Amino acid sequence: MKTKIFGLIVLLAATATAIAANETSEVTMPAEGSVSVEEGLEAWSRVYEVASHPRCSNCHTGESGIPMWSGPSYGKTRPHGMNISAGESRIGAEFVTCGTCHIKTDRGNTVPHAAPMVNMDWQLAPAEADWFGKSSREICEQLRDPERNGGRTWQELAEHLDHDLILHWAWNPGGGREPAPYSLLEHIDDVLAWGVAGMPCPQG
Amino acid sequence: MRLNVNGNTHEVDVEEDMPLLWVLRDELGITGPKYGCGIAQCGACTVHVDGMAVRSCQLAVGDVDGEITTIEGLGTPDALHAVQAAWVEHQVAQCGYCQSGQIMAAAAFLDLNDDPSDEEIDRAMSANLCRCGTYPRIREAVKTAAANLRSA
Repeated sequence: MKTKIFGLIVLLAATATAIAANETSEVTMPAEGSVSVEEGLEAWSRVYEVASHPRCSNCHTGESGIPMWSGPSYGKTRPHGMNISAGESRIGAEFVTCGTCHIKTDRGNTVPHAAPMVNMDWQLAPAEADWFGKSSREICEQLRDPERNGGRTWQELAEHLDHDLILHWAWNPGGGREPAPYSLLEHIDDVLAWGVAGMPCPQG
Repeated sequence: MRLNVNGNTHEVDVEEDMPLLWVLRDELGITGPKYGCGIAQCGACTVHVDGMAVRSCQLAVGDVDGEITTIEGLGTPDALHAVQAAWVEHQVAQCGYCQSGQIMAAAAFLDLNDDPSDEEIDRAMSANLCRCGTYPRIREAVKTAAANLRSA
Protein backbone atom coordinates (compact mmCIF):
# COMPACT_ATOMS: atom_id res chain seq x y z
CA MET A 1 0.00 0.00 0.00
CA LYS A 2 1.48 3.26 -1.04
CA THR A 3 -0.48 6.19 0.21
CA LYS A 4 0.59 9.67 -0.57
CA ILE A 5 -0.28 11.43 2.63
CA PHE A 6 0.55 15.02 2.11
CA GLY A 7 2.25 17.55 -0.06
CA LEU A 8 5.42 18.82 1.43
CA ILE A 9 6.98 22.21 1.19
CA VAL A 10 10.54 21.16 0.63
CA LEU A 11 13.15 23.16 2.38
CA LEU A 12 16.04 24.03 0.16
CA ALA A 13 18.72 23.66 2.78
CA ALA A 14 21.47 24.76 0.44
CA THR A 15 19.82 28.09 -0.20
CA ALA A 16 21.33 30.71 2.02
CA THR A 17 18.55 33.24 1.89
CA ALA A 18 15.26 31.47 1.35
CA ILE A 19 13.53 29.92 4.35
CA ALA A 20 11.37 27.74 2.20
CA ALA A 21 10.61 27.59 -1.44
CA ASN A 22 7.14 26.76 -2.59
CA GLU A 23 8.30 23.61 -4.25
CA THR A 24 5.86 20.85 -3.64
CA SER A 25 7.03 17.31 -3.26
CA GLU A 26 5.27 14.29 -1.90
CA VAL A 27 6.16 11.87 0.81
CA THR A 28 5.30 8.26 0.29
CA MET A 29 4.24 6.34 3.35
CA PRO A 30 6.03 3.03 3.70
CA ALA A 31 3.72 0.04 3.38
CA GLU A 32 2.47 -1.62 6.52
CA GLY A 33 4.86 -4.34 7.61
CA SER A 34 7.63 -3.08 5.32
CA VAL A 35 9.83 -1.75 8.12
CA SER A 36 11.22 -4.12 10.73
CA VAL A 37 11.57 -3.12 14.38
CA GLU A 38 15.32 -3.10 13.91
CA GLU A 39 15.04 -0.75 10.94
CA GLY A 40 12.55 1.33 12.91
CA LEU A 41 15.05 1.71 15.72
CA GLU A 42 17.69 2.78 13.20
CA ALA A 43 15.26 5.37 11.86
CA TRP A 44 14.56 6.50 15.39
CA SER A 45 18.26 6.95 16.12
CA ARG A 46 18.40 9.43 13.23
CA VAL A 47 15.23 11.15 14.48
CA TYR A 48 16.95 11.50 17.84
CA GLU A 49 20.02 13.03 16.22
CA VAL A 50 17.68 15.72 14.92
CA ALA A 51 15.61 16.11 18.09
CA SER A 52 18.70 16.44 20.27
CA HIS A 53 20.49 18.83 17.91
CA PRO A 54 20.78 22.37 19.28
CA ARG A 55 18.69 23.82 16.43
CA CYS A 56 15.79 21.79 17.83
CA SER A 57 16.51 21.15 21.49
CA ASN A 58 17.42 24.74 22.42
CA CYS A 59 13.75 25.65 22.18
CA HIS A 60 12.40 22.29 23.38
CA THR A 61 12.79 23.07 27.06
CA GLY A 62 10.42 22.20 29.88
CA GLU A 63 8.32 24.10 32.36
CA SER A 64 11.13 26.53 33.15
CA GLY A 65 10.18 28.29 29.93
CA ILE A 66 13.82 29.22 29.48
CA PRO A 67 15.31 28.59 26.04
CA MET A 68 18.93 27.47 25.83
CA TRP A 69 21.96 28.57 23.91
CA SER A 70 24.09 25.60 22.96
CA GLY A 71 25.91 24.21 19.95
CA PRO A 72 29.03 24.93 17.95
CA SER A 73 28.30 28.61 17.28
CA TYR A 74 27.14 29.38 20.81
CA GLY A 75 30.20 28.67 22.93
CA LYS A 76 29.51 27.31 26.38
CA THR A 77 26.07 25.78 26.91
CA ARG A 78 23.96 28.22 28.90
CA PRO A 79 20.46 29.64 29.19
CA HIS A 80 19.38 32.16 26.55
CA GLY A 81 21.06 35.46 27.30
CA MET A 82 19.28 38.55 28.55
CA ASN A 83 17.55 36.66 31.35
CA ILE A 84 14.93 35.55 28.85
CA SER A 85 11.98 33.41 29.86
CA ALA A 86 9.18 32.55 27.47
CA GLY A 87 6.93 31.96 30.50
CA GLU A 88 3.89 29.74 30.64
CA SER A 89 2.65 31.42 27.49
CA ARG A 90 5.73 29.98 25.72
CA ILE A 91 5.83 33.20 23.65
CA GLY A 92 7.23 35.45 26.38
CA ALA A 93 4.01 37.39 26.87
CA GLU A 94 4.69 37.67 30.61
CA PHE A 95 8.07 39.39 30.15
CA VAL A 96 9.54 40.11 26.74
CA THR A 97 7.77 38.51 23.80
CA CYS A 98 10.00 36.31 21.66
CA GLY A 99 8.75 38.41 18.74
CA THR A 100 10.35 41.54 20.16
CA CYS A 101 13.64 40.35 18.68
CA HIS A 102 12.67 37.27 16.63
CA ILE A 103 10.85 39.32 14.02
CA LYS A 104 8.17 37.70 11.86
CA THR A 105 9.57 37.84 8.34
CA ASP A 106 10.47 35.67 5.40
CA ARG A 107 13.62 37.63 4.57
CA GLY A 108 15.90 34.89 5.87
CA ASN A 109 18.81 34.96 8.29
CA THR A 110 22.25 36.14 7.26
CA VAL A 111 23.69 38.04 10.21
CA PRO A 112 25.67 36.11 12.86
CA HIS A 113 24.47 36.67 16.42
CA ALA A 114 21.21 38.27 15.35
CA ALA A 115 17.95 36.73 16.56
CA PRO A 116 16.76 34.04 14.11
CA MET A 117 13.59 34.96 12.24
CA VAL A 118 10.94 33.05 10.35
CA ASN A 119 7.57 33.99 8.93
CA MET A 120 5.61 32.90 12.00
CA ASP A 121 5.54 33.94 15.65
CA TRP A 122 8.66 32.69 17.41
CA GLN A 123 7.91 30.52 20.45
CA LEU A 124 9.04 27.60 22.54
CA ALA A 125 7.75 24.11 21.88
CA PRO A 126 5.11 22.95 24.40
CA ALA A 127 6.52 22.13 27.84
CA GLU A 128 5.58 18.44 27.42
CA ALA A 129 8.06 18.24 24.54
CA ASP A 130 10.98 18.82 26.89
CA TRP A 131 13.91 17.47 24.91
CA PHE A 132 16.91 19.46 26.07
CA GLY A 133 19.44 17.09 27.63
CA LYS A 134 17.00 14.19 27.51
CA SER A 135 17.96 10.67 26.42
CA SER A 136 16.91 8.98 23.21
CA ARG A 137 14.55 6.75 25.17
CA GLU A 138 12.94 9.67 27.02
CA ILE A 139 12.26 11.66 23.87
CA CYS A 140 11.03 8.56 22.03
CA GLU A 141 8.58 7.70 24.79
CA GLN A 142 7.32 11.26 24.91
CA LEU A 143 6.76 11.38 21.17
CA ARG A 144 4.75 8.17 21.06
CA ASP A 145 2.60 9.14 24.06
CA PRO A 146 -0.58 10.92 22.88
CA GLU A 147 -0.89 12.45 26.35
CA ARG A 148 2.35 14.30 25.77
CA ASN A 149 2.59 14.70 22.00
CA GLY A 150 -0.47 16.82 21.37
CA GLY A 151 -2.74 13.81 20.85
CA ARG A 152 -1.06 12.87 17.60
CA THR A 153 -0.69 9.59 15.77
CA TRP A 154 2.69 8.98 14.16
CA GLN A 155 1.19 9.98 10.83
CA GLU A 156 0.09 13.24 12.40
CA LEU A 157 3.52 13.73 13.92
CA ALA A 158 5.01 13.43 10.45
CA GLU A 159 2.42 15.76 9.01
CA HIS A 160 3.08 18.26 11.77
CA LEU A 161 6.64 18.56 10.48
CA ASP A 162 5.27 19.90 7.23
CA HIS A 163 3.77 23.14 8.44
CA ASP A 164 5.87 24.50 11.27
CA LEU A 165 8.17 27.14 9.82
CA ILE A 166 10.29 27.45 12.98
CA LEU A 167 11.01 23.77 12.60
CA HIS A 168 11.89 24.20 8.92
CA TRP A 169 14.35 26.91 9.95
CA ALA A 170 16.38 24.26 11.80
CA TRP A 171 17.70 23.01 8.47
CA ASN A 172 18.48 26.45 7.14
CA PRO A 173 19.36 28.54 10.17
CA GLY A 174 21.76 30.98 8.51
CA GLY A 175 24.04 33.32 10.39
CA GLY A 176 26.78 30.70 10.68
CA ARG A 177 24.66 28.37 12.78
CA GLU A 178 25.01 24.63 12.28
CA PRO A 179 21.88 23.18 10.68
CA ALA A 180 20.09 20.14 12.06
CA PRO A 181 21.40 16.89 10.52
CA TYR A 182 19.95 15.18 7.42
CA SER A 183 17.15 17.13 5.74
CA LEU A 184 13.54 17.86 6.50
CA LEU A 185 12.47 15.30 3.90
CA GLU A 186 14.80 12.62 5.28
CA HIS A 187 13.59 13.43 8.78
CA ILE A 188 9.96 12.96 7.77
CA ASP A 189 10.86 9.68 6.05
CA ASP A 190 12.54 8.52 9.26
CA VAL A 191 9.53 9.46 11.39
CA LEU A 192 7.28 7.54 9.01
CA ALA A 193 9.57 4.49 9.01
CA TRP A 194 9.67 4.58 12.81
CA GLY A 195 5.89 4.82 12.90
CA VAL A 196 5.27 1.95 10.50
CA ALA A 197 7.67 -0.17 12.55
CA GLY A 198 5.42 0.37 15.56
CA MET A 199 7.20 3.34 17.17
CA PRO A 200 9.90 1.24 18.84
CA CYS A 201 11.96 2.98 21.52
CA PRO A 202 15.48 2.08 22.60
CA GLN A 203 15.74 0.36 25.94
CA GLY A 204 18.17 1.56 28.52
CA MET B 1 5.28 53.12 1.21
CA ARG B 2 2.94 54.43 3.89
CA LEU B 3 3.75 54.33 7.59
CA ASN B 4 1.77 55.43 10.61
CA VAL B 5 4.12 56.79 13.24
CA ASN B 6 2.87 58.39 16.43
CA GLY B 7 -0.54 58.94 14.90
CA ASN B 8 0.78 60.62 11.76
CA THR B 9 0.82 59.09 8.31
CA HIS B 10 4.08 59.33 6.39
CA GLU B 11 4.85 58.46 2.80
CA VAL B 12 8.41 57.18 2.46
CA ASP B 13 10.32 56.15 -0.64
CA VAL B 14 12.72 53.51 0.65
CA GLU B 15 13.78 49.94 -0.05
CA GLU B 16 11.55 47.37 1.64
CA ASP B 17 14.47 45.79 3.46
CA MET B 18 15.62 49.02 5.10
CA PRO B 19 15.46 48.61 8.89
CA LEU B 20 12.63 50.57 10.44
CA LEU B 21 15.17 52.31 12.67
CA TRP B 22 16.88 53.82 9.61
CA VAL B 23 13.56 55.01 8.24
CA LEU B 24 12.58 56.62 11.51
CA ARG B 25 15.88 58.36 12.07
CA ASP B 26 17.17 59.18 8.60
CA GLU B 27 13.98 59.57 6.61
CA LEU B 28 11.56 60.93 9.17
CA GLY B 29 13.93 62.65 11.59
CA ILE B 30 12.48 60.78 14.56
CA THR B 31 15.66 60.30 16.57
CA GLY B 32 14.39 59.07 19.94
CA PRO B 33 15.04 55.43 19.01
CA LYS B 34 18.80 54.86 19.07
CA TYR B 35 21.22 52.63 17.21
CA GLY B 36 23.18 50.46 19.60
CA CYS B 37 24.20 47.05 18.30
CA GLY B 38 22.15 46.50 15.15
CA ILE B 39 21.45 42.86 16.02
CA ALA B 40 18.70 43.02 18.71
CA GLN B 41 21.15 42.47 21.54
CA CYS B 42 20.87 45.80 23.35
CA GLY B 43 17.36 47.25 23.06
CA ALA B 44 18.29 50.89 22.37
CA CYS B 45 16.14 50.92 19.23
CA THR B 46 12.96 49.60 20.87
CA VAL B 47 9.68 51.00 19.56
CA HIS B 48 6.12 49.70 19.60
CA VAL B 49 4.18 48.21 16.73
CA ASP B 50 0.53 48.06 17.73
CA GLY B 51 1.65 48.35 21.35
CA MET B 52 4.13 45.47 21.26
CA ALA B 53 7.80 46.15 21.86
CA VAL B 54 9.98 45.47 18.85
CA ARG B 55 13.63 46.05 17.99
CA SER B 56 13.41 48.50 15.11
CA CYS B 57 16.96 47.71 13.96
CA GLN B 58 15.78 44.19 13.10
CA LEU B 59 12.40 44.99 11.58
CA ALA B 60 12.52 45.60 7.84
CA VAL B 61 10.19 48.45 7.00
CA GLY B 62 8.46 46.23 4.45
CA ASP B 63 7.46 43.87 7.25
CA VAL B 64 5.80 46.54 9.41
CA ASP B 65 2.15 45.62 9.76
CA GLY B 66 0.79 48.05 12.34
CA GLU B 67 0.95 51.48 13.88
CA ILE B 68 4.36 52.52 15.14
CA THR B 69 4.88 54.38 18.39
CA THR B 70 8.24 55.84 19.36
CA ILE B 71 9.24 57.59 22.55
CA GLU B 72 8.11 60.82 20.89
CA GLY B 73 4.57 59.49 20.70
CA LEU B 74 4.33 57.72 24.05
CA GLY B 75 3.47 60.85 26.00
CA THR B 76 3.82 64.60 25.69
CA PRO B 77 5.70 67.03 27.95
CA ASP B 78 2.32 68.11 29.32
CA ALA B 79 0.93 64.62 29.66
CA LEU B 80 3.75 62.18 30.28
CA HIS B 81 3.15 58.47 30.08
CA ALA B 82 3.28 56.92 33.57
CA VAL B 83 6.63 55.33 32.73
CA GLN B 84 8.10 58.63 31.59
CA ALA B 85 6.83 60.36 34.73
CA ALA B 86 8.35 57.67 36.92
CA TRP B 87 11.65 58.01 35.04
CA VAL B 88 11.69 61.72 35.90
CA GLU B 89 10.68 61.06 39.50
CA HIS B 90 13.50 58.56 40.01
CA GLN B 91 15.99 60.48 37.87
CA VAL B 92 16.76 57.23 36.10
CA ALA B 93 18.81 58.46 33.18
CA GLN B 94 22.52 58.99 33.36
CA CYS B 95 23.93 59.42 29.85
CA GLY B 96 20.47 58.69 28.47
CA TYR B 97 21.39 56.83 25.30
CA CYS B 98 19.52 53.62 26.16
CA GLN B 99 16.66 55.26 27.99
CA SER B 100 14.27 55.63 25.08
CA GLY B 101 14.48 51.88 24.55
CA GLN B 102 14.21 51.21 28.27
CA ILE B 103 11.05 53.29 28.57
CA MET B 104 9.41 51.75 25.51
CA ALA B 105 10.22 48.25 26.80
CA ALA B 106 8.83 49.09 30.25
CA ALA B 107 5.66 50.61 28.80
CA ALA B 108 4.94 47.54 26.68
CA PHE B 109 5.66 45.23 29.61
CA LEU B 110 3.37 47.11 32.03
CA ASP B 111 0.63 47.12 29.44
CA LEU B 112 0.44 43.33 29.90
CA ASN B 113 1.36 43.17 33.60
CA ASP B 114 0.69 46.22 35.77
CA ASP B 115 1.61 44.52 39.05
CA PRO B 116 4.97 42.89 38.42
CA SER B 117 7.29 41.40 41.00
CA ASP B 118 10.95 42.38 41.13
CA GLU B 119 11.82 39.11 39.41
CA GLU B 120 9.31 39.78 36.64
CA ILE B 121 10.69 43.28 36.16
CA ASP B 122 14.20 41.89 35.88
CA ARG B 123 13.02 39.29 33.36
CA ALA B 124 11.31 41.95 31.29
CA MET B 125 14.03 44.57 31.40
CA SER B 126 17.20 42.47 31.13
CA ALA B 127 17.13 42.55 27.34
CA ASN B 128 17.72 46.31 27.44
CA LEU B 129 21.32 47.12 28.26
CA CYS B 130 22.50 50.22 30.13
CA ARG B 131 26.24 50.81 30.14
CA CYS B 132 25.83 53.42 32.89
CA GLY B 133 24.30 50.75 35.12
CA THR B 134 21.07 52.52 35.96
CA TYR B 135 19.35 49.18 36.55
CA PRO B 136 18.40 49.74 40.23
CA ARG B 137 16.70 53.01 39.33
CA ILE B 138 15.03 51.41 36.31
CA ARG B 139 13.54 48.75 38.57
CA GLU B 140 12.25 51.33 41.07
CA ALA B 141 10.81 53.49 38.32
CA VAL B 142 9.01 50.52 36.78
CA LYS B 143 7.48 49.76 40.18
CA THR B 144 6.36 53.37 40.61
CA ALA B 145 4.94 53.46 37.09
CA ALA B 146 3.07 50.21 37.75
CA ALA B 147 1.56 51.61 40.95
CA ASN B 148 0.50 54.77 39.16
CA LEU B 149 -1.01 52.83 36.28
CA ARG B 150 -2.99 50.68 38.70
CA SER B 151 -4.38 53.72 40.52
CA ALA B 152 -5.07 55.66 37.35
